[in-house]
Amino acid sequence: MKEVMDNNFIEEISEGDVPVVVDFWAPWCGPCRMLSPVLDELSAEYEGKVKFIKVNVDNNPVTSQKYRISSIPTVMVFKKGLAVDTMIGFRPKADIKQLLEKHI
Amino acid sequence: MADRYDIAIVGSGPAGISAAVNAKIRNKNIIIFGTKDLSTKLIKAPKINNYLGLPDITGEALKNEFQKHLDAMDIDITNERINNIYAMGDYFALMVNEKMYEATAVILATGVEYTKPLKGEEEFLGRGVGYCATCDAPLYKGKTVAIIGYNHEGEEDANYVSELAAKTYYIPMYKADYNLRSNIQVINDRPLEIQGDSLADRLVFKNGEINTDGIFILKDSVPPGQLVPGLQIENGHIKVDRNMRTNIEGCYAAGDCIGRPYQYLKAAGEGQVAALNAVAYIDSKIKNS
Repeated sequence: MKEVMDNNFIEEISEGDVPVVVDFWAPWCGPCRMLSPVLDELSAEYEGKVKFIKVNVDNNPVTSQKYRISSIPTVMVFKKGLAVDTMIGFRPKADIKQLLEKHI
Repeated sequence: MADRYDIAIVGSGPAGISAAVNAKIRNKNIIIFGTKDLSTKLIKAPKINNYLGLPDITGEALKNEFQKHLDAMDIDITNERINNIYAMGDYFALMVNEKMYEATAVILATGVEYTKPLKGEEEFLGRGVGYCATCDAPLYKGKTVAIIGYNHEGEEDANYVSELAAKTYYIPMYKADYNLRSNIQVINDRPLEIQGDSLADRLVFKNGEINTDGIFILKDSVPPGQLVPGLQIENGHIKVDRNMRTNIEGCYAAGDCIGRPYQYLKAAGEGQVAALNAVAYIDSKIKNS
């Protein structure tokens, strides 16, 4: 999954027609470490249909504040730059798939 | 990588130990998490008259019978508290702070938590309210945090948070000497409600209120929906079918945590059903791999 920073975040969520899934995470967060391989698998399964990126909240305070990330992991889904869904905390793969199917 | 158990059982009450005994008989590699008293509710029961074959027994004596049974079958209870269980797909990751256990199947036998959530607690969960202060503390650097602690472990978490937060409040829900850093303000009042707009920003007490950016609620046991993210809950209990299957493949539940009546025999029976179905699940996975 591609790491995105404050300076290119807006560009990354705005371009293209496919939904963009953003994983807000940090290295010290246990549930984030568990979620990340699950998202990697999904990213491979949804290649071309959904774009997956991640944002380290420690290094990107502007984006984290803007979207009011108060608990991590938080997964947000964007469509053409607009937030359309938010999922807080770890979720099993089947749950995330269900969430994605709504937006494809 | 950690060793992977066939079945991890969470809880050492009648449901959990019945599950352990049955899984062990079926020759599975198991681990059972719990306490040396097995169940605090059990040892407190003065007299039990509806456990078949053992009439007029005290809770303490029944516990001893259970323990003898476990000893005879060479089953050791692992005295650790599971904080989170993650469904990784092929297996489950069970976290004890930074330590991790892996198991192919999980049986939840956690009993019921009697403390009701605060008003607003569920509404603001993930939006200013959390159950793991050490996990999310860095997000509150330089901000105000209130910690509602139900046991001594809450004090350690409060001390840690106070190193990062600008202001830390500690609201103890028990009476004791508190081992807290001097910059933490203790509030001896009963919390009633969490309020806010889109994010929680106020904690209301019986006799006052405080403004805060974050509120952490640290209970003895986390509700099952928090313990296993993605687990389906119905009316405060884990939803299962008659095979004790939850909505997550490979995850089973038994005993008080799945619903009333809260009885020892029911719990033991459900633990058995859960174990036998978990065994069948593991066998089918081995066959298909």
